[in-house]
Amino acid sequence: MIAALTVVAAILLQVTVVNRVPLPGGGGPDLVLLAVVGLALTRGPVTGAVIGFCAGLLTDLAPPTAHVAGQYAFVFAAVGFLAGRGVRGMVPTVVVCVLVAPLLAAAIGGLIGDPRVTPDVLVRSLPASAVYTLLLAPPTVWLVTRVHRRYRA
Amino acid sequence: MRDTRRARLILGLLLTAALVILTVDHRTGVGSPLEPLRAGGSWLFGTAERFGASVVRPVGEFFGMLADAPRAHEQIKRLEADNARLRRDLVTSQLDRRRSTQLERMLGLASLGRYTVVPANVVARRGHPGFEDAVEIDAGADDGVRRDMTVLNGQGLVGRVVQVSATTSTVVLLSDPASAAGARLVDGDEIGVVNGVGDGGRLVRFRLLDSTASLSPGLRLVSFGSHKGTPYVPGVPIGVIERVEATPGELTRIAYARPYADLTALDVVGVVVGGPRRDPRGALLPDEARTQP
Repeated sequence: MIAALTVVAAILLQVTVVNRVPLPGGGGPDLVLLAVVGLALTRGPVTGAVIGFCAGLLTDLAPPTAHVAGQYAFVFAAVGFLAGRGVRGMVPTVVVCVLVAPLLAAAIGGLIGDPRVTPDVLVRSLPASAVYTLLLAPPTVWLVTRVHRRYRA
Repeated sequence: MRDTRRARLILGLLLTAALVILTVDHRTGVGSPLEPLRAGGSWLFGTAERFGASVVRPVGEFFGMLADAPRAHEQIKRLEADNARLRRDLVTSQLDRRRSTQLERMLGLASLGRYTVVPANVVARRGHPGFEDAVEIDAGADDGVRRDMTVLNGQGLVGRVVQVSATTSTVVLLSDPASAAGARLVDGDEIGVVNGVGDGGRLVRFRLLDSTASLSPGLRLVSFGSHKGTPYVPGVPIGVIERVEATPGELTRIAYARPYADLTALDVVGVVVGGPRRDPRGALLPDEARTQP
Protein backbone atom coordinates (compact mmCIF):
# COMPACT_ATOMS: atom_id res chain seq x y z
CA MET A 1 0.00 0.00 0.00
CA ILE A 2 2.66 2.46 1.11
CA ALA A 3 4.79 1.30 -1.81
CA ALA A 4 1.97 2.04 -4.27
CA LEU A 5 1.48 5.50 -2.77
CA THR A 6 5.19 6.24 -2.97
CA VAL A 7 5.35 5.22 -6.62
CA VAL A 8 2.28 7.24 -7.61
CA ALA A 9 3.58 10.28 -5.72
CA ALA A 10 6.96 9.93 -7.44
CA ILE A 11 5.35 9.74 -10.91
CA LEU A 12 3.14 12.77 -10.29
CA LEU A 13 6.02 14.77 -8.83
CA GLN A 14 8.18 13.80 -11.78
CA VAL A 15 5.77 14.91 -14.52
CA THR A 16 4.30 17.98 -12.85
CA VAL A 17 7.41 19.47 -11.24
CA VAL A 18 10.77 17.96 -12.11
CA ASN A 19 10.34 17.69 -15.88
CA ARG A 20 9.07 21.25 -16.18
CA VAL A 21 12.24 22.78 -14.77
CA PRO A 22 14.58 23.50 -17.68
CA LEU A 23 17.90 22.26 -16.29
CA PRO A 24 21.22 22.97 -18.00
CA GLY A 25 22.66 20.05 -19.95
CA GLY A 26 19.37 18.81 -21.36
CA GLY A 27 18.75 16.12 -18.76
CA GLY A 28 16.95 15.72 -15.49
CA PRO A 29 16.72 13.49 -12.43
CA ASP A 30 14.46 10.44 -12.50
CA LEU A 31 12.48 10.25 -9.25
CA VAL A 32 10.49 7.16 -10.22
CA LEU A 33 13.69 5.17 -10.69
CA LEU A 34 14.95 6.30 -7.29
CA ALA A 35 11.62 5.42 -5.64
CA VAL A 36 11.75 1.91 -7.14
CA VAL A 37 15.37 1.47 -6.03
CA GLY A 38 14.58 2.71 -2.52
CA LEU A 39 11.59 0.39 -2.13
CA ALA A 40 13.43 -2.61 -3.56
CA LEU A 41 16.37 -2.04 -1.20
CA THR A 42 14.11 -2.62 1.79
CA ARG A 43 11.88 -5.34 0.33
CA GLY A 44 14.19 -7.77 -1.43
CA PRO A 45 14.42 -9.00 -5.04
CA VAL A 46 10.98 -10.61 -5.57
CA THR A 47 8.90 -7.75 -4.19
CA GLY A 48 11.35 -5.32 -5.75
CA ALA A 49 10.77 -6.81 -9.20
CA VAL A 50 6.98 -6.78 -8.73
CA ILE A 51 6.98 -3.17 -7.48
CA GLY A 52 9.28 -2.22 -10.36
CA PHE A 53 7.02 -3.89 -12.91
CA CYS A 54 3.91 -2.10 -11.57
CA ALA A 55 5.71 1.26 -11.31
CA GLY A 56 6.98 0.84 -14.87
CA LEU A 57 3.53 -0.01 -16.19
CA LEU A 58 2.09 3.07 -14.45
CA THR A 59 4.90 5.17 -15.93
CA ASP A 60 4.04 3.79 -19.36
CA LEU A 61 0.37 4.68 -18.93
CA ALA A 62 0.51 7.98 -17.04
CA PRO A 63 0.09 10.89 -19.45
CA PRO A 64 1.86 12.50 -21.18
CA THR A 65 3.22 9.42 -22.94
CA ALA A 66 4.24 8.88 -26.52
CA HIS A 67 6.30 5.73 -26.16
CA VAL A 68 5.36 2.08 -26.45
CA ALA A 69 3.75 0.64 -23.30
CA GLY A 70 5.81 -2.04 -21.55
CA GLN A 71 9.19 -0.39 -22.05
CA TYR A 72 9.53 0.91 -18.52
CA ALA A 73 7.70 -2.10 -17.05
CA PHE A 74 10.63 -4.14 -18.35
CA VAL A 75 13.32 -1.69 -17.24
CA PHE A 76 12.00 -1.11 -13.73
CA ALA A 77 11.26 -4.80 -13.12
CA ALA A 78 14.88 -5.57 -13.90
CA VAL A 79 16.12 -2.64 -11.81
CA GLY A 80 13.84 -3.59 -8.89
CA PHE A 81 15.25 -7.12 -8.92
CA LEU A 82 18.80 -5.83 -9.13
CA ALA A 83 18.32 -3.36 -6.28
CA GLY A 84 16.59 -5.97 -4.10
CA ARG A 85 19.37 -8.47 -4.70
CA GLY A 86 22.08 -5.92 -3.98
CA VAL A 87 25.50 -5.49 -5.54
CA ARG A 88 28.04 -5.44 -2.70
CA GLY A 89 26.50 -2.87 -0.38
CA MET A 90 23.95 -0.13 -0.69
CA VAL A 91 25.91 2.65 -2.41
CA PRO A 92 27.26 0.53 -5.31
CA THR A 93 23.75 -0.92 -5.76
CA VAL A 94 22.17 2.51 -6.18
CA VAL A 95 24.92 3.68 -8.54
CA VAL A 96 24.70 0.55 -10.69
CA CYS A 97 20.89 0.79 -10.86
CA VAL A 98 20.95 4.47 -11.86
CA LEU A 99 23.47 3.73 -14.61
CA VAL A 100 21.83 0.53 -15.85
CA ALA A 101 18.22 1.81 -16.10
CA PRO A 102 18.61 4.43 -18.87
CA LEU A 103 20.94 2.16 -20.84
CA LEU A 104 18.40 -0.67 -20.66
CA ALA A 105 15.61 1.71 -21.72
CA ALA A 106 17.73 2.93 -24.61
CA ALA A 107 18.52 -0.66 -25.61
CA ILE A 108 14.82 -1.58 -25.72
CA GLY A 109 14.04 1.61 -27.64
CA GLY A 110 16.77 0.64 -30.08
CA LEU A 111 15.36 -2.88 -30.43
CA ILE A 112 11.94 -1.64 -31.53
CA GLY A 113 13.48 1.00 -33.77
CA ASP A 114 12.53 4.07 -31.74
CA PRO A 115 13.75 7.13 -33.71
CA ARG A 116 14.29 8.98 -30.43
CA VAL A 117 17.22 6.80 -29.43
CA THR A 118 20.09 8.37 -31.33
CA PRO A 119 23.83 8.37 -30.63
CA ASP A 120 23.48 12.06 -29.79
CA VAL A 121 21.00 11.28 -26.99
CA LEU A 122 23.24 8.52 -25.64
CA VAL A 123 26.29 10.76 -25.56
CA ARG A 124 24.78 14.01 -24.29
CA SER A 125 21.41 13.66 -22.63
CA LEU A 126 21.83 10.33 -20.82
CA PRO A 127 25.04 11.20 -18.92
CA ALA A 128 23.48 14.51 -17.81
CA SER A 129 20.39 12.70 -16.54
CA ALA A 130 22.51 10.09 -14.76
CA VAL A 131 24.46 12.83 -12.98
CA TYR A 132 21.28 14.62 -11.86
CA THR A 133 19.74 11.35 -10.68
CA LEU A 134 22.88 10.42 -8.73
CA LEU A 135 22.92 13.88 -7.12
CA LEU A 136 19.34 13.43 -6.00
CA ALA A 137 19.81 9.77 -5.03
CA PRO A 138 21.00 10.06 -1.37
CA PRO A 139 18.09 12.21 -0.09
CA THR A 140 15.41 10.44 -2.14
CA VAL A 141 16.48 6.89 -1.33
CA TRP A 142 16.92 7.82 2.33
CA LEU A 143 13.44 9.38 2.44
CA VAL A 144 11.76 6.46 0.67
CA THR A 145 13.37 3.77 2.84
CA ARG A 146 12.69 5.74 6.02
CA VAL A 147 9.02 6.47 5.28
CA HIS A 148 8.57 2.90 4.17
CA ARG A 149 10.10 1.39 7.32
CA ARG A 150 8.15 3.63 9.65
CA TYR A 151 4.73 2.99 8.14
CA ARG A 152 5.30 -0.69 7.65
CA ALA A 153 6.27 -1.28 11.27
CA MET B 1 15.00 -14.15 0.78
CA ARG B 2 18.00 -13.50 -1.42
CA ASP B 3 18.71 -14.54 -4.93
CA THR B 4 16.76 -17.81 -5.13
CA ARG B 5 15.40 -19.83 -8.03
CA ARG B 6 11.91 -18.60 -7.26
CA ALA B 7 13.03 -14.97 -7.40
CA ARG B 8 14.62 -15.55 -10.79
CA LEU B 9 11.52 -17.31 -12.04
CA ILE B 10 9.32 -14.38 -11.00
CA LEU B 11 11.71 -11.89 -12.57
CA GLY B 12 11.68 -13.91 -15.77
CA LEU B 13 7.88 -13.98 -15.82
CA LEU B 14 7.64 -10.23 -15.24
CA LEU B 15 10.18 -9.43 -17.94
CA THR B 16 8.37 -11.73 -20.36
CA ALA B 17 5.06 -10.04 -19.54
CA ALA B 18 6.64 -6.64 -20.17
CA LEU B 19 8.03 -7.82 -23.50
CA VAL B 20 4.64 -9.22 -24.53
CA ILE B 21 2.94 -5.91 -23.69
CA LEU B 22 5.69 -4.06 -25.55
CA THR B 23 5.38 -6.21 -28.67
CA VAL B 24 1.58 -6.09 -28.76
CA ASP B 25 1.53 -2.33 -28.30
CA HIS B 26 4.29 -1.75 -30.82
CA ARG B 27 2.82 -3.96 -33.52
CA THR B 28 -0.77 -2.73 -33.29
CA GLY B 29 -0.05 1.01 -33.03
CA VAL B 30 -3.16 3.19 -32.80
CA GLY B 31 -5.69 0.34 -32.59
CA SER B 32 -3.77 -1.22 -29.72
CA PRO B 33 -5.71 -3.39 -27.23
CA LEU B 34 -3.92 -1.37 -24.54
CA GLU B 35 -5.75 1.76 -25.64
CA PRO B 36 -8.56 1.42 -23.03
CA LEU B 37 -5.93 0.92 -20.33
CA ARG B 38 -4.08 3.97 -21.55
CA ALA B 39 -7.31 5.99 -21.62
CA GLY B 40 -7.97 4.92 -18.03
CA GLY B 41 -4.49 5.97 -16.97
CA SER B 42 -4.92 9.20 -18.88
CA TRP B 43 -8.16 9.96 -17.07
CA LEU B 44 -6.83 9.07 -13.64
CA PHE B 45 -3.40 10.68 -13.86
CA GLY B 46 -4.68 13.55 -15.98
CA THR B 47 -7.10 14.56 -13.25
CA ALA B 48 -4.42 14.22 -10.60
CA GLU B 49 -1.99 16.24 -12.71
CA ARG B 50 -4.53 19.01 -13.19
CA PHE B 51 -4.97 19.37 -9.46
CA GLY B 52 -1.25 18.93 -8.90
CA ALA B 53 -0.45 21.70 -11.36
CA SER B 54 -2.81 24.14 -9.70
CA VAL B 55 -1.00 23.53 -6.41
CA VAL B 56 2.47 23.57 -7.91
CA ARG B 57 2.07 26.66 -10.07
CA PRO B 58 2.10 29.28 -7.26
CA VAL B 59 5.19 27.60 -5.77
CA GLY B 60 6.94 27.63 -9.12
CA GLU B 61 5.98 31.25 -9.69
CA PHE B 62 7.35 32.15 -6.29
CA PHE B 63 10.75 30.67 -7.08
CA GLY B 64 10.66 32.24 -10.51
CA MET B 65 9.98 35.58 -8.85
CA LEU B 66 12.93 35.17 -6.49
CA ALA B 67 15.21 34.41 -9.42
CA ASP B 68 13.91 37.40 -11.36
CA ALA B 69 14.10 39.89 -8.46
CA PRO B 70 17.36 41.58 -9.55
CA ARG B 71 15.93 42.20 -12.97
CA ALA B 72 12.54 43.36 -11.70
CA HIS B 73 13.66 46.89 -10.85
CA GLU B 74 15.00 47.43 -14.32
CA GLN B 75 11.82 46.00 -15.75
CA ILE B 76 9.62 48.38 -13.77
CA LYS B 77 11.56 51.31 -15.17
CA ARG B 78 11.18 49.99 -18.68
CA LEU B 79 7.48 49.36 -18.20
CA GLU B 80 6.93 52.90 -16.96
CA ALA B 81 8.58 54.25 -20.08
CA ASP B 82 6.51 51.86 -22.18
CA ASN B 83 3.33 53.05 -20.47
CA ALA B 84 4.00 56.66 -21.34
CA ARG B 85 4.66 55.73 -24.93
CA LEU B 86 1.55 53.56 -25.15
CA ARG B 87 -0.68 56.31 -23.79
CA ARG B 88 0.62 58.54 -26.52
CA ASP B 89 0.10 55.87 -29.13
CA LEU B 90 -3.44 55.22 -27.96
CA VAL B 91 -4.60 58.60 -29.20
CA THR B 92 -3.22 58.06 -32.65
CA SER B 93 -4.31 54.44 -32.82
CA GLN B 94 -7.98 55.31 -32.52
CA LEU B 95 -7.74 57.00 -35.87
CA ASP B 96 -5.82 54.10 -37.33
CA ARG B 97 -8.27 51.58 -35.98
CA ARG B 98 -11.20 53.02 -37.83
CA ARG B 99 -9.23 52.90 -41.01
CA SER B 100 -8.02 49.37 -40.42
CA THR B 101 -11.52 47.98 -39.78
CA GLN B 102 -12.58 49.34 -43.12
CA LEU B 103 -9.58 47.79 -44.78
CA GLU B 104 -10.20 44.47 -43.07
CA ARG B 105 -13.79 44.40 -44.19
CA MET B 106 -12.73 45.20 -47.68
CA LEU B 107 -10.15 42.51 -47.98
CA GLY B 108 -12.17 39.98 -45.98
CA LEU B 109 -8.91 38.37 -44.96
CA ALA B 110 -9.03 38.76 -41.23
CA SER B 111 -11.74 36.21 -40.76
CA LEU B 112 -10.17 33.86 -43.31
CA GLY B 113 -6.73 33.88 -41.78
CA ARG B 114 -7.94 33.35 -38.24
CA TYR B 115 -7.90 30.07 -36.42
CA THR B 116 -10.40 28.94 -33.82
CA VAL B 117 -8.19 28.28 -30.85
CA VAL B 118 -8.96 26.64 -27.51
CA PRO B 119 -6.59 27.94 -24.83
CA ALA B 120 -5.04 25.48 -22.37
CA ASN B 121 -2.42 25.26 -19.64
CA VAL B 122 0.44 22.80 -19.55
CA VAL B 123 -0.03 20.65 -16.45
CA ALA B 124 2.66 17.99 -16.83
CA ARG B 125 5.70 17.24 -18.91
CA ARG B 126 7.48 14.06 -19.93
CA GLY B 127 11.20 13.99 -20.40
CA HIS B 128 12.31 11.49 -17.79
CA PRO B 129 11.73 8.65 -17.61
CA GLY B 130 11.42 8.32 -21.35
CA PHE B 131 13.04 9.77 -24.41
CA GLU B 132 10.00 11.60 -25.73
CA ASP B 133 9.23 15.29 -25.48
CA ALA B 134 5.55 15.50 -24.62
CA VAL B 135 3.33 17.64 -22.41
CA GLU B 136 -0.11 17.20 -20.89
CA ILE B 137 -2.57 20.07 -21.27
CA ASP B 138 -5.79 20.71 -19.35
CA ALA B 139 -8.11 20.78 -22.35
CA GLY B 140 -9.68 17.59 -23.69
CA ALA B 141 -12.52 16.14 -25.70
CA ASP B 142 -15.02 18.19 -23.67
CA ASP B 143 -13.41 21.35 -25.06
CA GLY B 144 -13.53 20.10 -28.62
CA VAL B 145 -9.96 18.82 -28.79
CA ARG B 146 -9.41 15.80 -31.03
CA ARG B 147 -6.45 13.67 -31.98
CA ASP B 148 -4.01 15.18 -34.53
CA MET B 149 -4.87 18.82 -33.93
CA THR B 150 -2.27 21.57 -34.14
CA VAL B 151 -1.02 23.11 -30.90
CA LEU B 152 0.57 26.57 -30.90
CA ASN B 153 1.28 29.41 -28.53
CA GLY B 154 1.67 33.15 -28.92
CA GLN B 155 5.04 32.75 -30.60
CA GLY B 156 4.59 29.84 -32.96
CA LEU B 157 4.03 26.14 -33.52
CA VAL B 158 4.33 23.89 -30.46
CA GLY B 159 3.25 20.41 -31.53
CA ARG B 160 0.29 18.16 -32.15
CA VAL B 161 -2.26 16.29 -30.07
CA VAL B 162 -1.67 12.53 -29.92
CA GLN B 163 -4.08 11.41 -27.24
CA VAL B 164 -7.27 12.87 -25.80
CA SER B 165 -9.24 12.13 -22.66
CA ALA B 166 -12.32 14.02 -21.46
CA THR B 167 -10.49 16.87 -19.74
CA THR B 168 -6.82 16.48 -20.63
CA SER B 169 -4.81 15.67 -23.72
CA THR B 170 -1.26 14.71 -24.60
CA VAL B 171 0.76 16.88 -26.96
CA VAL B 172 3.93 15.70 -28.68
CA LEU B 173 6.23 18.70 -29.07
CA LEU B 174 8.01 19.84 -32.19
CA SER B 175 11.28 18.98 -30.46
CA ASP B 176 10.40 15.29 -30.11
CA PRO B 177 12.78 13.33 -32.35
CA ALA B 178 9.92 11.13 -33.55
CA SER B 179 7.77 14.01 -34.73
CA ALA B 180 7.95 15.41 -38.23
CA ALA B 181 6.25 18.52 -39.56
CA GLY B 182 6.13 19.83 -43.09
CA ALA B 183 7.72 23.28 -43.33
CA ARG B 184 8.09 25.93 -45.98
CA LEU B 185 10.67 28.67 -46.29
CA VAL B 186 8.84 31.98 -46.28
CA ASP B 187 11.12 33.43 -48.93
CA GLY B 188 11.31 31.17 -51.93
CA ASP B 189 8.53 28.77 -50.95
CA GLU B 190 10.92 25.82 -50.83
CA ILE B 191 9.55 22.94 -48.78
CA GLY B 192 11.14 20.58 -46.30
CA VAL B 193 10.64 18.62 -43.11
CA VAL B 194 11.22 19.72 -39.52
CA ASN B 195 12.36 17.04 -37.05
CA GLY B 196 13.08 17.39 -33.36
CA VAL B 197 16.56 16.58 -32.13
CA GLY B 198 15.74 16.32 -28.43
CA ASP B 199 18.01 18.62 -26.47
CA GLY B 200 15.00 20.15 -24.67
CA GLY B 201 13.78 21.91 -27.81
CA ARG B 202 16.41 24.59 -28.17
CA LEU B 203 16.91 23.67 -31.83
CA VAL B 204 15.02 21.65 -34.43
CA ARG B 205 16.42 20.12 -37.61
CA PHE B 206 15.11 21.30 -40.97
CA ARG B 207 15.69 19.11 -44.01
CA LEU B 208 15.27 20.99 -47.28
CA LEU B 209 14.08 18.69 -50.03
CA ASP B 210 15.64 20.65 -52.89
CA SER B 211 19.41 20.45 -52.55
CA THR B 212 20.00 23.23 -55.08
CA ALA B 213 17.86 25.86 -53.33
CA SER B 214 19.64 28.49 -51.32
CA LEU B 215 19.55 28.11 -47.57
CA SER B 216 21.09 30.61 -45.18
CA PRO B 217 20.81 31.61 -41.53
CA GLY B 218 18.03 34.11 -40.81
CA LEU B 219 15.48 32.56 -43.16
CA ARG B 220 12.11 31.88 -41.57
CA LEU B 221 10.02 28.72 -41.56
CA VAL B 222 6.25 28.35 -41.48
CA SER B 223 4.25 25.14 -41.35
CA PHE B 224 3.50 23.68 -44.75
CA GLY B 225 0.19 22.14 -43.79
CA SER B 226 -1.12 18.66 -44.41
CA HIS B 227 -4.22 17.07 -45.84
CA LYS B 228 -7.35 18.65 -44.27
CA GLY B 229 -5.19 20.57 -41.82
CA THR B 230 -4.22 17.52 -39.75
CA PRO B 231 -1.97 17.23 -37.92
CA TYR B 232 -0.56 20.65 -38.81
CA VAL B 233 -2.48 23.60 -40.19
CA PRO B 234 -0.60 25.70 -42.75
CA GLY B 235 1.02 29.05 -42.19
CA VAL B 236 1.93 28.79 -38.50
CA PRO B 237 5.40 30.23 -37.82
CA ILE B 238 7.88 27.53 -36.77
CA GLY B 239 11.26 29.15 -36.35
CA VAL B 240 14.24 30.90 -37.83
CA ILE B 241 17.25 29.11 -39.29
CA GLU B 242 20.33 29.47 -37.15
CA ARG B 243 22.99 27.43 -38.90
CA VAL B 244 23.27 25.43 -42.08
CA GLU B 245 25.12 22.15 -42.14
CA ALA B 246 27.42 21.44 -45.06
CA THR B 247 26.19 18.22 -46.69
CA PRO B 248 27.99 17.95 -50.01
CA GLY B 249 26.74 15.25 -52.33
CA GLU B 250 23.51 14.57 -50.48
CA LEU B 251 20.01 14.79 -51.88
CA THR B 252 18.69 17.01 -49.11
CA ARG B 253 20.18 19.95 -47.25
CA ILE B 254 20.13 20.15 -43.47
CA ALA B 255 19.84 23.24 -41.30
CA TYR B 256 19.13 23.83 -37.63
CA ALA B 257 16.39 26.27 -36.71
CA ARG B 258 15.52 27.96 -33.44
CA PRO B 259 11.77 27.56 -32.78
CA TYR B 260 9.83 30.78 -32.14
CA ALA B 261 7.96 29.05 -29.32
CA ASP B 262 10.09 28.51 -26.21
CA LEU B 263 9.64 24.75 -25.96
CA THR B 264 11.70 24.48 -22.78
CA ALA B 265 9.29 26.54 -20.67
CA LEU B 266 5.75 26.13 -21.99
CA ASP B 267 2.76 27.34 -20.05
CA VAL B 268 -0.23 28.71 -21.97
CA VAL B 269 -0.85 27.06 -25.34
CA GLY B 270 -3.74 26.95 -27.79
CA VAL B 271 -5.22 24.03 -29.70
CA VAL B 272 -6.46 24.81 -33.20
CA VAL B 273 -9.93 23.29 -33.30
CA GLY B 274 -10.94 25.02 -36.51
CA GLY B 275 -8.52 25.98 -39.26
CA PRO B 276 -8.75 28.86 -41.71
CA ARG B 277 -10.43 28.30 -45.02
CA ARG B 278 -7.26 29.02 -46.88
CA ASP B 279 -3.54 29.20 -46.26
CA PRO B 280 -2.77 32.57 -44.61
CA ARG B 281 0.84 32.39 -46.00
CA GLY B 282 3.26 34.42 -43.95
CA ALA B 283 0.53 36.60 -42.43
CA LEU B 284 0.87 35.00 -39.00
CA LEU B 285 4.58 35.55 -38.56
CA PRO B 286 5.46 37.58 -35.46
CA ASP B 287 6.15 41.25 -36.08
CA GLU B 288 9.84 41.10 -35.25
CA ALA B 289 10.30 38.25 -37.69
CA ARG B 290 8.47 40.01 -40.48
CA THR B 291 10.67 43.06 -40.30
CA GLN B 292 13.87 41.03 -40.45
CA PRO B 293 15.59 40.97 -43.85
